[in-house]
Amino acid sequence: MGILSDEIKPAMQGVIPSHLVTCALDGTPNATVVSQVYYVDSDHVALSYQFFSKTIKNIRENPRALASVINPETFESWDLEIEYDHSETSGPVFDIMDMQIEAIASMTGMKGIFKLRAADIYRVISATKNVGERIPLSEIGSVSGTA
Amino acid sequence: MAEEKNTAVEVKQQIAENQQIIDQLNRQLARKNNEVRIIQQISSEITSTLDLDRILETVLSAMDRVLGFQHAMILLKDQVADKLKVAAGRGYDHTTISAEVAFGHGVVGVVAERKKMMRVGNIGASVRYLMAVRANLKEASQPDLSDTTAKLPSLPNVQSQLAMPLLVKDRLIGVLVVESAKPNAFDELDEILLTIVANQAATAIDNARMYQMVEQLSRLKRFFSPQLAELILVGGTEDPLKTHRREVTVVFLDLRGFTMFAEQVEPEEVMGVLRDYHAEMGRLILEHEGTLERFTGDGMMIFFNDPVPVPNPAERALRMALAMRERVQGLSKKWRKRGYDLALGIGIAQGYATIGAIGFEGRWDYGAIGTVTNLAARLCGEAKGEQILVSLRVTGEVEDLIETEEIGSLTLKGFHKSVLAFNVLGLKANA
Repeated sequence: MGILSDEIKPAMQGVIPSHLVTCALDGTPNATVVSQVYYVDSDHVALSYQFFSKTIKNIRENPRALASVINPETFESWDLEIEYDHSETSGPVFDIMDMQIEAIASMTGMKGIFKLRAADIYRVISATKNVGERIPLSEIGSVSGTA
Repeated sequence: MAEEKNTAVEVKQQIAENQQIIDQLNRQLARKNNEVRIIQQISSEITSTLDLDRILETVLSAMDRVLGFQHAMILLKDQVADKLKVAAGRGYDHTTISAEVAFGHGVVGVVAERKKMMRVGNIGASVRYLMAVRANLKEASQPDLSDTTAKLPSLPNVQSQLAMPLLVKDRLIGVLVVESAKPNAFDELDEILLTIVANQAATAIDNARMYQMVEQLSRLKRFFSPQLAELILVGGTEDPLKTHRREVTVVFLDLRGFTMFAEQVEPEEVMGVLRDYHAEMGRLILEHEGTLERFTGDGMMIFFNDPVPVPNPAERALRMALAMRERVQGLSKKWRKRGYDLALGIGIAQGYATIGAIGFEGRWDYGAIGTVTNLAARLCGEAKGEQILVSLRVTGEVEDLIETEEIGSLTLKGFHKSVLAFNVLGLKANA
């Protein structure tokens, strides 16, 4: 029994994009949106590497990151502490991600331009379900008012 | 005392909760058992028929009835090109049927290309994400962005797709796809159930298609050589039954003395002679890749350069005619021993003809119409036993190949002017 339970799987289908926070060596944080955090097994997730970005640069220097995933039906969210392990350019995980990216790219006229360079595999260190207090509907107005 | 009572209540509650869970599990198990049973039923239903439409309909109706997938389609691979065509669908408007998908295009196209299944639950979000990336790239004037995004047969607001390749021993037959406008509509269990159905369907569809092909093939073989029939079947040549105009070399042949022979002997004898003669001539037609247009009794009409164009139709016609003459000389010896005096006469002409299907529903034939066919028939009529008469046009085409002698101008029925004809003596020494 690994860290990720079946309950989290719907949050890892990319219906709601996930947030990913990384940190440069000098401590500068970087937050970005990724289209999907892929479920690999109960202890691993994968992120797609398409373009060289700030995130990729940070991860290669400092492998720790935090990903936040959301279940699109219940809006429950999890924070995953993850650590970059290795990159795969073939194999079943790469194939699944590559096929999806190619399919969507071909539907948007970007076949061959937007493609998977590697599947970056991360080890999951912890998964914390965010159990926020329910805000009564009557208070929602005042909450948004303060934002 | 109060504590004991509380414990008893808790135990009761626990039992009730456990019972609920057990009931729920039982219901789920019953559903799964039911699904497995029905899938077995589908399997036996689709493997017991060779009717392709029935197989497709059975699979799609099962998708809806058993698995609750309301939008499902089956696309079949084109015999030649790397593309798929929607063969059947359920839960779509009529425009979806017959729509085509190129390999590598969209979820279905990529599944076909890679021969691996794909489950996507976030098509809407992914497309929006990539469109945003695309807009940025366009702003940065990135070249090679194709502007056309081909329309794929799919629900207009599709979010989830589960697409299975239909494979028979790693050979792609088609793709089975279920769709939903809801995100994350399919899970791992759906993958398993669909895999079972897809495996069964692939074999059943393949068998049905093979059967259809064999049937079609035997029909086409009535008109064309086996190689050509196969070529037509896999779509490697244009539909020859569609009316078209082409220059052809036409060969007519029949047996001199046949009418008298047929009047004098028993019909069984006539049939026996015809069988030998047809078998030998048929072999030579196939050998020279000629198209047998028809045979009536002892007469045959063969042409060259259609449905498949050949570079040397006149040469093929001549070589076939010479081989036929020789073969019938051999048969004649046998016939003469039985007292039958039969010899082959051949006429050959070249020119344009209108070719295609001639006839009516239920009885179509493949035929050629034009002066060229009349001329070949008339030359054949004029030819004496063992003579091959050819038109001036044919002589011009093969003058380096054959020795001929001019037999002068013939007055032929249906021709206003007299026609110059040549008798073929044989192949030149170096031909």
